[in-house]
Amino acid sequence: MRDAAAFEPAVAEVQPVPPRRSTGGLRRSERRAGVLFVIPAVLLYALLLALPIIQTFYYSLTRWNGIDATFIGLANYERLFSDPTFWRVVANNVILLAAIPIAILIPLAVAFLLNEHVSGWRFFRSAYFLPTAISWVVIGIVAVRFFAQRGILNSLLAALGIPVTTDMLASEWTAMVAVAITFIWSVFGTNTIIFITGMATLDRDVYEAARVDGAGGFATFRHITIPLLMRFIQFAFVLTLITGFTALFSLIFVMTTGGPGFGTTTLEFYVYQTAFAQGEFGYAAAVGVVLFVIVFGISLIQLRLLRDRSE
Amino acid sequence: MARAGRRLQRLAIFAILSVAVVVMLFPFAYMLLTSFRSYDQFLAGSGFSLDSWQGLFDELPVVQQMINSAIVTGSSVALILFASTTAGYAFAKLRFPVAPLLFVGILAGMMIPVQSIIIPEFVNIANAGLINQYPGPILVYAALGIPFGTYLMTTYFRGVPTELVEASLMDGASYRQIFIGVMVPLAVPAIVTVAVLQFIQIWGDLLIGLLFLNQPDVRTITVGLATLQSARIIPVPMIMAGSILSLLPAVIVYLFFQRQLIAGLTMGMGK
Repeated sequence: MRDAAAFEPAVAEVQPVPPRRSTGGLRRSERRAGVLFVIPAVLLYALLLALPIIQTFYYSLTRWNGIDATFIGLANYERLFSDPTFWRVVANNVILLAAIPIAILIPLAVAFLLNEHVSGWRFFRSAYFLPTAISWVVIGIVAVRFFAQRGILNSLLAALGIPVTTDMLASEWTAMVAVAITFIWSVFGTNTIIFITGMATLDRDVYEAARVDGAGGFATFRHITIPLLMRFIQFAFVLTLITGFTALFSLIFVMTTGGPGFGTTTLEFYVYQTAFAQGEFGYAAAVGVVLFVIVFGISLIQLRLLRDRSE
Repeated sequence: MARAGRRLQRLAIFAILSVAVVVMLFPFAYMLLTSFRSYDQFLAGSGFSLDSWQGLFDELPVVQQMINSAIVTGSSVALILFASTTAGYAFAKLRFPVAPLLFVGILAGMMIPVQSIIIPEFVNIANAGLINQYPGPILVYAALGIPFGTYLMTTYFRGVPTELVEASLMDGASYRQIFIGVMVPLAVPAIVTVAVLQFIQIWGDLLIGLLFLNQPDVRTITVGLATLQSARIIPVPMIMAGSILSLLPAVIVYLFFQRQLIAGLTMGMGK
């Protein structure tokens, strides 16, 4: 309070100063402050994000073992696109893509039910969201126990009297399905929260009107909730897509280490394997570029859609 | 009649939601239950003991690894908070050359997958002699957190009236004083959101820790667990005990800051 009073005369004295000189001095100190304040972020960004992505592009054109790099033009890409293993890896990413509609629809339906606010809904919401706080490593550790031959899934099947014994992690395609199921489980909470947030923005009157018109639960869901939530569905879709392409490394490392064979190796895991298990840094950089182009492309489409909507 | 139908409907909804809760919480119950069994009890499927917890602390460097996780995660989050609040303030409230270009550049960093930069990053950090040193992964985590942190802080600071800054300037405060005295106190909710999101992400990360801290005594708990698990040499109950130990800090943070976590998630929608 006393400080403020002390400043009053100073303010009065400043006023007669010609405005242009005053703003000039102010602008200079503002510029200096601005530059100083962004330096930490810009340094970290430039040295540890921007520089390595440029290096990745450069080294993808070389034969590189981490020490000596020889420029070989597009040879890594030619080799990559004619390599059956690469296409096997891409196929695994496509399986994950196929899981995305399920990873969207189940949370959407659950959010719709949650939005009815039956007793205990807050607890349900917290329980669904909890796995979001859990490391993919821990999720993977439990998932291995779930799918293992002497694991939980087989105990469940036996308890239900179903005479089938599974060993999903032991063969290529079923292992990939097991990873995809775990992926769906892991993103369930996040997507449910996104849809719950979306539904909270919807007008309750619309539902009442639908009910008065005699629309049943499913009709309301299909014809009112889904269209009105399109923005949120699209956001969840892109988020899940990017998660599928870039966040499953730990899960795969723990569950299958990419196997059996290349059965569960996705693009991101292939980068790691090629570089750090086989020491082919240049070739791995080319895979990294392919991954970057895909993820960057998805993000740009997302931005474009957001902009179209706001116009 | 209609009311009875409505009640039945709500009961059905409750039942479906309960099934989903079982599916989502079952793994946690399984971990907890299994961790309180010895290996023999685990195979037999009955009985309880503290053997696996005892074994975990006796045979594995988990205490050291929890400390490593705390050092790495804590320092990374602190660095992210420092760099992204200062940058957010500058981008939102100060005019300086190339600001728009820098801002777009940093935001574009959100679209770079870690795996696409990890190889040169590893070689650069190795050349700097920072493999198996805490600063190596700390710097990498900090850089990875900067784009989102800066985006969130800038958005938040833009909502703060510019008059506040101008009034303080008139009072003779410097830009630094305004930042510390006015902007940071106002931004606490956003700062907590960034801190919680980054804490959970870095605490649970594997790839960076795996590559940059490859000696057992400097590893984080998450990396320690993952390497044990992938080697398949560790008794199941013991790895479950380790899993619970590792997820405790993240779960505690989650229980206290659930709201901020949700806020941070939906912030990404860029309204």
